[in-house]
Amino acid sequence: MRNGRDILTVSGLNVAYGESKVLFDVGLRVRPDEIVACVGRNGAGKTTLLKSIAGFLVPTSGSIASDDTDLIGVAPYAVARMGIKYVPQDKKVFSDLTVRENLELASYVTKDYGWDRITGYFPKLRQLMDRKAGYLSGGERQMLMIGRAMLGSPKLLLVDEPTEGLAPSFVAHLKDVFLELSRTTALVIVEQNLPLVCAIAAKVYALNEGRVVAELSDRNEIRPDVCERHLQPTPGNGPGARAR
Amino acid sequence: MIGTHLLTSGIIFGLSIGSIYFLMTIGLSLCFGLMRIISLDQLLYYSLGAYVTYSVSLATGTLWLGILGGVLVAGAASRAVERLVFRRTYQRELTFSMITSFGILIGGVGIIKYFWGLVPRPVPVPIAAQLDILGTEVPVYRLVVIGIALAVYAGIWLFLHRTIIGKAIRAGIEDAEHVEGLGINVHRLFTITFVIAGSLSGLAGALHAPLIMVDPQMGLEVLAFAFMVVIIGGLGSIKGTLVSSLIVGQVISLGSLVYAPLAQMAPFAVMLLILLVRPTGLFGSALLKR
Amino acid sequence: MSWVGATIVRERTGAAQRIRASAAAIVAWWWGLVLAFALLASLRLFLPLPFLNEVVIFSIYTVGCNFLLGRVGFISFGQPAYLAVGAYAAAFYLYYFGNNAYVGILVGVAAGIAVALVVGPLFVRLRSDYFALINLALAVIIFYLMQKVLADITHGDNGLWFLTRLASTPVLDLTRPDRFFIFACLVGFAVWAFYKYLDDSVFGACCLAAKVNDDKLKFLGYSNFAIRLTAFVIANSTTALAGAMYAVYLGFVSPEITSPARAADPVVVTILGGAGTLYGPIVGSLTYTGMKDLISRVMVNWELVVGFLIVFIMLAGERGIWGTLQPRLQKLVRRMRAGTGADSGGERR
Repeated sequence: MRNGRDILTVSGLNVAYGESKVLFDVGLRVRPDEIVACVGRNGAGKTTLLKSIAGFLVPTSGSIASDDTDLIGVAPYAVARMGIKYVPQDKKVFSDLTVRENLELASYVTKDYGWDRITGYFPKLRQLMDRKAGYLSGGERQMLMIGRAMLGSPKLLLVDEPTEGLAPSFVAHLKDVFLELSRTTALVIVEQNLPLVCAIAAKVYALNEGRVVAELSDRNEIRPDVCERHLQPTPGNGPGARAR
Repeated sequence: MIGTHLLTSGIIFGLSIGSIYFLMTIGLSLCFGLMRIISLDQLLYYSLGAYVTYSVSLATGTLWLGILGGVLVAGAASRAVERLVFRRTYQRELTFSMITSFGILIGGVGIIKYFWGLVPRPVPVPIAAQLDILGTEVPVYRLVVIGIALAVYAGIWLFLHRTIIGKAIRAGIEDAEHVEGLGINVHRLFTITFVIAGSLSGLAGALHAPLIMVDPQMGLEVLAFAFMVVIIGGLGSIKGTLVSSLIVGQVISLGSLVYAPLAQMAPFAVMLLILLVRPTGLFGSALLKR
Repeated sequence: MSWVGATIVRERTGAAQRIRASAAAIVAWWWGLVLAFALLASLRLFLPLPFLNEVVIFSIYTVGCNFLLGRVGFISFGQPAYLAVGAYAAAFYLYYFGNNAYVGILVGVAAGIAVALVVGPLFVRLRSDYFALINLALAVIIFYLMQKVLADITHGDNGLWFLTRLASTPVLDLTRPDRFFIFACLVGFAVWAFYKYLDDSVFGACCLAAKVNDDKLKFLGYSNFAIRLTAFVIANSTTALAGAMYAVYLGFVSPEITSPARAADPVVVTILGGAGTLYGPIVGSLTYTGMKDLISRVMVNWELVVGFLIVFIMLAGERGIWGTLQPRLQKLVRRMRAGTGADSGGERR
């Protein structure tokens, strides 16, 4: 089911850590300049999904393609160079390097030194340039991570739980940044913060125990309560069918 | 009471030993920090550096050409090993790299025996001159060794803090996966780091050669000391390596002034004590993995 | 009344069946051990005695290292340390105090247990690489201690000679190599039975679990430290036993047994045989000693072979000789058993 217009197509994806299977037959499609959200409880496999797309995990079966290029088996750094950037959880930045140096690393690879664009999105970073990233607060780190990923004008950003542990003002700021970004970059956002994603996402995939249990693309259905309903644990049997 | 003469020469001697140990162990520390492997084969590049120095200086008459040769051969050898052995196995657990690199070290002893034979050989000291410091005669060569080690430390520091590749390596020491996510080819970083490590180990062997006799087992004999330095300083920390090699050098040197038989043993006792208090060494990073 | 009679008949046949079943279980458990050591003893017909004695003692030396690596996940580059502890303890006793070889061996083992209990609590807390190297450091310390520091009582590099002091021992005269071989095989049999028992016990399972995922084990309520410490003491006491046996067999001890160059031996044999397998040390020891013998007649460059062998084995899956053979043999045995109708119940060797 390949559509030339899709920036990312995942289908029939099965991923396992050694013997334990984590993702079962997962599929999703992302169009250019679209915000797609992936929601689910802890352990549902959201991070595994992003890591597989980014090339850090090799699936046992299935396909991942972007612009008609097969991504499976491609080394993570090559995936990044193709314009698909992964922004991990846990707000990990390179603590021993300064903010400036963190950005330098990204600029070096992408040859994009247009930092004004980044500081346009995150003005605070301008003041923090010479501070060691280890001394930044959680919100500042998140800004740095996203700002760093934006260098090189990626076509797709895979963002893993960006608002976790952040103050509401930061969350609101990020929401505006994401909306603004989506004009030039597609986004796949993994989140537990349902109100946020329901406000900005054009499509929501609900993941439960490694399976896609719902795909919401109707604006009326993209609401926190609808998502909650789909994310209820399936009683009794593990391999539950799609909830709809 | 030890006189200033003995003390001065003891301290200088200790500094020069410490310098050699420092050069020998940066490689180990770097390889662990970035690639999370224990590269015991660094001791092989140390031996190769010493032996090539011996041969080239015998052939050309200059030690310095010999040292250059030693460093180059060591670097080349480490590149070959990285490509053939380690490249595919970075994800494996620590014991894998320990045992495999140990095998390479032992095999390397065999190679050295094959090319150079069993008999220990002396290497001529390039600078026979002595300098008078505080009333003691100190061999200039030892001062040169100390100087080179300091220059290397400065060079490494500049490399890691002022060049983009160095910064990438420092970032990789924190989180190599994350660096790859930025689009940087970490495998090339690994190779670069491994070759730098091997070359520095070769330099250590090359500089050490005139001070001792080269013999095929030299890598194995010095293995315990090298690791002791790294453990005390903490695997993965350059600063730690510098500090601990200085400490070990002084303990061995000054210790032998006090009570010779214990001198060789004392650093190990120090290491045991330090590990009691800090199980990852003075500056080592605590890894969650076992 | 008939149903009482029937019950009694049923009970009698039930009991007979139970006895047969437990007899079968006993045979199943022991037959591997008996076969292995019978084979080993039969080698006496083909191979020279000194070689075989060396092999048996070396196997016992290695089984501790094998256990640590294969079951607990720690490699130690310093096994010579504990070998030396056992050897020198036995030597001190036999040189200065008594002349009974049996007692000497017991002294060696006791010393091994003592040292392991002293250093164990520190060592087992360390990460695997520090663990490997601190054992190496201990080996070096002991080397220098015996060579220089305590040279007055150890006679340094000259070593302690007590062969002539050894008295003939009752039952098996250990001063005679052929009797010693019988003794060594018996000791080996006992050691292997012990390790096999460990493997099958809850403790063995805990060790494996600690190697694979020690966090989970902690959550189950087990103390990783206690498990590792116990394994450490057991493994190194076995090594000390080998050391004491070396001392008695050779009749002398010198610091050379714990020189840094010797650190390779148990590691190589463990990998060669197959880490974590029960009979790996015997297979590895036979192969290593044999190879050393053969190859050193042809090449001086013995290290080249060993080195590349280690690298090759590690890159080819780390299973070693017995590690590769054993699963295949097991399949073969199962197939044969299935053919005859009985099932051994998946005995692990």
